[in-house]
Amino acid sequence: MQSLLRQGHSLRCYCLMGIQAQKIHTTAIQSTFWEREKKSGYKTKLPEPSKKQLILDGFKDLKEEIKLWRQEVKEHLQSDPILVFRPGETDVVFDFKAPDVLDKWTVTTDADHGEGKSTAALELSASGAGLFHGEVSSEHTKDGIIKRTGYANIRTKRVRKSFKREATYDWTQYNMLIMKVRGDGRSYLINLHTEGYFDLMWNDIYHYVLYTRGGPHWQIAKIPFSKFFLSSKGRVQDRQGAIALNKVTHFGFSVAAKKGMDGPFNLEIDYVGLEYDPSHREEFAYEMYKTPKYIVAT
Amino acid sequence: MLRKVHSLCRQRAPAIFSRVYSTDEANTNSSSGAGNSSSRGAGGTKNATTSRLPAIRNPFAAAQEKTKNTYLTMVEIFQERDVHRRNHVEFIYAALKHMPDFGVEHDLEVYKALIDVMPKGKFIPTNIFQAEFMHYPKQQQCIIDLLEQMEDFGVMPDYEMEAMLLNVFGNKGHPLRKYWRMMYWMPKFKNLSPWPLPDPVPDDTLEIAKLAVERMCTVDLRSQLRVYETSELKDALDETWIVSGMSPEQSKLLREHNRQKALYIEGPFHIWIRNRRINYFTLRADADDEFLAQLDERQLDEDDVSHIEVPFFGRAPPRRHNQLGKLRSVHQQDDGTIFAICATGTSTKDSLLSWIRLLESNGNPIIGEIPVLFRFTSTVPAKAQEIEGPATVPATSDNA
Repeated sequence: MQSLLRQGHSLRCYCLMGIQAQKIHTTAIQSTFWEREKKSGYKTKLPEPSKKQLILDGFKDLKEEIKLWRQEVKEHLQSDPILVFRPGETDVVFDFKAPDVLDKWTVTTDADHGEGKSTAALELSASGAGLFHGEVSSEHTKDGIIKRTGYANIRTKRVRKSFKREATYDWTQYNMLIMKVRGDGRSYLINLHTEGYFDLMWNDIYHYVLYTRGGPHWQIAKIPFSKFFLSSKGRVQDRQGAIALNKVTHFGFSVAAKKGMDGPFNLEIDYVGLEYDPSHREEFAYEMYKTPKYIVAT
Repeated sequence: MLRKVHSLCRQRAPAIFSRVYSTDEANTNSSSGAGNSSSRGAGGTKNATTSRLPAIRNPFAAAQEKTKNTYLTMVEIFQERDVHRRNHVEFIYAALKHMPDFGVEHDLEVYKALIDVMPKGKFIPTNIFQAEFMHYPKQQQCIIDLLEQMEDFGVMPDYEMEAMLLNVFGNKGHPLRKYWRMMYWMPKFKNLSPWPLPDPVPDDTLEIAKLAVERMCTVDLRSQLRVYETSELKDALDETWIVSGMSPEQSKLLREHNRQKALYIEGPFHIWIRNRRINYFTLRADADDEFLAQLDERQLDEDDVSHIEVPFFGRAPPRRHNQLGKLRSVHQQDDGTIFAICATGTSTKDSLLSWIRLLESNGNPIIGEIPVLFRFTSTVPAKAQEIEGPATVPATSDNA
């Protein structure tokens, strides 16, 4: 339902040059059947470091990566997975009291691509937890393309194995998401990215709402994974299904300046954890009607 | 694959049809000189021959009285103007754009009136090719945009609207698909919040403050909300109200609080009540580390198998420590103990002082014995500075 949509556009400029009107076509090329890259045109081109620097950095990384790889091999040989997940016990996945935690997160706002005026930052708060704060503004640059703006996100970096190989989280043993947060009465969006292999699945995100109470007390939110619904590029999808918990690639929060909620926001996060609750048997919270052909997902 | 194609279709469509209905101002310009229209590019399709385009008057921008009645009257006038209802798509877009000016953006009746502008039966596809290729795309996109605006403003459609849309576009119409999606999801999300709020939220600050403090106090079910007037006190400078939330448990914690340790009035922090923001202050003290540490002692790490003690040899069987001891209250947070929350009408230092005095005279005499300090270091620095005021008043300590 959150729809922050970038409109494709065709802008034509007719210049009167003598008698003949000359067309200057400024339309951005839009490939309609496949995505060229994961950012869908939002990739920022950063200057590449020099070749020498790349080699030096590569060697520096190599040391760390080998260490990581050794750990992986060791774990594989030990073959000692956790088999029993005791109910009522929270396993913390993202702990904001851990050192260097802020390096694991990326903050984005609509201002990153000149599409809005929101600001956001992720810092450590006075109580030692992570503080996602800033100001969202629905005011946007009137370029005739952007229709709605005003958002800020935080997202974890892609989970990976050694040698920068992409991996996924495996949370299949759990059925609850536990968060200790302190908000400001706003509602935040919890995003579970399940980025797939094909371009169709690059933007798959499972959402649910995190309602915050506000006030000085911490709150522990317990949300079953069955409540999460699928959306892609901000549109809730017609063909729904429960989240595949072994395919989670990123985790994040969003906040939007929707319905006149322009202004500052504050979300203090202590930890995000997982829990197995045997009393929760629901697989997917939304009824799955048999739908007519050629109507849904079109 | 279908999902993908769909999303692309959605992305592209508004761009093609999103011509903005020009305002009066733009029209006067275009009538004065057709040549400059290309540089302005308001219409997007104008060229040297634009002078033949009909001059469209925008009645919504020109309306004297901006009420729901005039809005509906204008829609009615448009409907009755001629049989063909030319430019009805542009009319609907203009009407949608001006909804907030008339204060009707949350009114379902108005949206229905706009859909009613569309001719019935004309846009229903009669064969599969028409049905597949978005018959009358401009008109369909217009109503999709209308439904999207409803969604943005949180207006839920009803079944009558479905009947209207069926009459206009038939059961294969894209607006119908949008409608069905809305009717699937919107009722699910509508009452999801564990802290329900009235819709719309009242305009009165006092009412919002009550809602805010009540919401923050849901952490303790025994919390009591009290509304004080500073006029109850003898020499209060500010004449204002104070909404205070405190529970018997917090009073008890306050009674047991160490007299040597100061209390802090902190703030202003803000809380959102839907789209309204209000400042609040807390009365708190630093966490009772001794007590919290004592609680931690009781928590044995059950996963630690490095030294399992056998209860049979050499030691007494394990006892639950401190079984009759104090339990940790919800107000004893890791980063401090919270005693009370308030919102005042003026958010000034004087009103907070009145709050403390009122708390003292209303069942918490202990406050008189404990130093109370102001600490305006908050996330709202400008406000904090404003409250702090000129340095004439000693800002740090105040034995209320």
